[in-house]
Amino acid sequence: MTSLRSRLGLGLITSLLVMLALLWATVGYSVHLLMENQLASRLEHDAETLLGGITIAADGTYLLDSHRLQGIYLQPYSGHYYQIDVNGHISRSRSLWDESLPPQQLAIGETRQAFLDGPQQQPLLVWSRAYKKQDHKVIISVAEDMLAIQEGLWRFQWQLLAWGLAVVALLLLLQHYIVVRSLRPVSAAAADIARLEQGEITELREQVPDEVSPLVRAINMLLQRQQMRLQRSREALGNLAHSLKTPLTVLLQLAAEKIPDSDRAAHAQLQDYSRQIDQLMGASLRRARLAGDGLGASRFDLQQDLPVLLDTLSRLHRDRTIHVEQELGNTRLLPLEQQDGMELLGNLLDNAWKWAHTTIRLTIIAGRKTDIVVEDDGAGIEADELDRILQRGGRQDETVAGHGIGLSVVRGMAEELGGSVEIGRSENLGGLRITVSLPMSHSHTGSDSVPAK
Amino acid sequence: MRLLLAEDDPGLAERLKGFLDKQGFAVDAVDNGVDAEFNALEIPYDVIVLDLGLPQRPGLEVLANWRRAQMQAPVLILTARDTWQEKVEGLQRGADDYLTKPFREEELLARLQALVRRSTGTVGETLAMHGWVLDEATQSVSRDDQQWQLTGTEFRLLRYFMLHPGRILSRASLTEHVYEEDADRDSNVIEVYVRRLREKLGKDIITTRRGQGYVFGQLK
Repeated sequence: MTSLRSRLGLGLITSLLVMLALLWATVGYSVHLLMENQLASRLEHDAETLLGGITIAADGTYLLDSHRLQGIYLQPYSGHYYQIDVNGHISRSRSLWDESLPPQQLAIGETRQAFLDGPQQQPLLVWSRAYKKQDHKVIISVAEDMLAIQEGLWRFQWQLLAWGLAVVALLLLLQHYIVVRSLRPVSAAAADIARLEQGEITELREQVPDEVSPLVRAINMLLQRQQMRLQRSREALGNLAHSLKTPLTVLLQLAAEKIPDSDRAAHAQLQDYSRQIDQLMGASLRRARLAGDGLGASRFDLQQDLPVLLDTLSRLHRDRTIHVEQELGNTRLLPLEQQDGMELLGNLLDNAWKWAHTTIRLTIIAGRKTDIVVEDDGAGIEADELDRILQRGGRQDETVAGHGIGLSVVRGMAEELGGSVEIGRSENLGGLRITVSLPMSHSHTGSDSVPAK
Repeated sequence: MRLLLAEDDPGLAERLKGFLDKQGFAVDAVDNGVDAEFNALEIPYDVIVLDLGLPQRPGLEVLANWRRAQMQAPVLILTARDTWQEKVEGLQRGADDYLTKPFREEELLARLQALVRRSTGTVGETLAMHGWVLDEATQSVSRDDQQWQLTGTEFRLLRYFMLHPGRILSRASLTEHVYEEDADRDSNVIEVYVRRLREKLGKDIITTRRGQGYVFGQLK
């Protein structure tokens, strides 16, 4: 169990139930004892009344003044009984009818109190004492049916339990309210993390309770460092590209110069190797520049970044007027880091731009995965060309510079990001249709498990 | 065509200057951002080739400063930085084209010619005016089936005239756009070349406006 709320709830319910059980047992026992003492005191009182009514003759027989007897002792099985033993002469209350109470062996002054089953299985409290009257030992046992008292006691205890449980429930509700209230800033942080995973924000808000604030600050610091590292490495790669590609340009141009026949083979080799270096370097640099699924990286925003990219493309291809139809649905953020998105869409759209006659259509279909579909109304592509076009640097048509290279970049990126590329004919526009399928980043699928506020 | 080449690699800069000179551009080369920024604000270049990785001041900053100062010349960014993010940044800062290294010289030339034509409002792939067609590849001019070879300076001058037809062009401004900075610049030489062009193309094609300069074709 990892939820703080569940832990606190379980802790509270356990302690409350233990407390309730102890309270219930203690109160029940105390009340029981109290009532028993009360009853014993009354029975003692009755015994002393009986004792007062006894007159012992010289021969040891005795008489009981019946006026002193309460009517309850005369009614059969009334639940109130007595038994008097004077020198082995035993007399019983009329209420005992044919039954008797067990005889008691007591020394003078000795008192005994016991629970017994009486007539008709009545639970009796029997109170007995041995008195000395007129030099005779008189043992008086008085008993009373406890059933009504016991029932009352049970009723009381059940009521106590019911009220106790009700209070426990109330306390749990109260605690739930307090916990939810106290953890609200934590839930806000959790919601922030969900938004961070979605790429809507790049750092967490730091207005959180003191207990979680170090965690949030540590996360923010990590995010900042990660971004700085990415930026630094991209800058370093840019510098590397600059320092390598400029001499490579000269090399390639030297290799392209007209030279005498005798040197032609060496020249061709120089040209081949330079090209290879260029292509390998390009591919490696692109792979190294990929941010991938970094947390806290701003994502490609179709509302902000796409218009800028389309504007750039139309400036780069000023001589061609291309209409771009956009079907973006409700998607705003692509599951791609901003610069990764720029690179992927830049290559896809640039390729389409080179081939389209008048129209390009960009469709985004977001679901369990995100499909980026780019179609054009150009000449399209033959089936046997499909493989070749995706080969690194393979060109479909040498006269349109960069075609094929851009698509191989797209394929490389898609694979690196765990996605795939599908090429076919566009049914809508008649030209090429390229679909790049990207998985929702793992942070996206994970966002479902973030507790709602 | 006066061209500013801002490239810090001496090998590449030398090659490019040589190549572009041959193609009829008057090339001033600088190897750092500060000089690049200063030169372009002082001299009315027709087109600029800008490397992004310049020492002293980064190319993008130079470009932004030019545009802020209303410097209008078309700028082609020539760089090893080939990501779309960088292309977007370059174009948004005011560049007109973007070419990544390594590149072919012919491609650079084609793009520069397109930039110049676009900036002067010239339509079409070839320069054609009053029946005369200028072939930039062979640096020759033709009419009907006849063709005349031009010298380097004749070509530069005629191309500048044909890109700005119907406009009064002073001798000083022609000198500015036909010769690079360190050339021997005597504006009287322009008169000599105008005369030579008239000999080839006919007297009436270039008229002299006394005290003002020359006009190619009819005054607009």
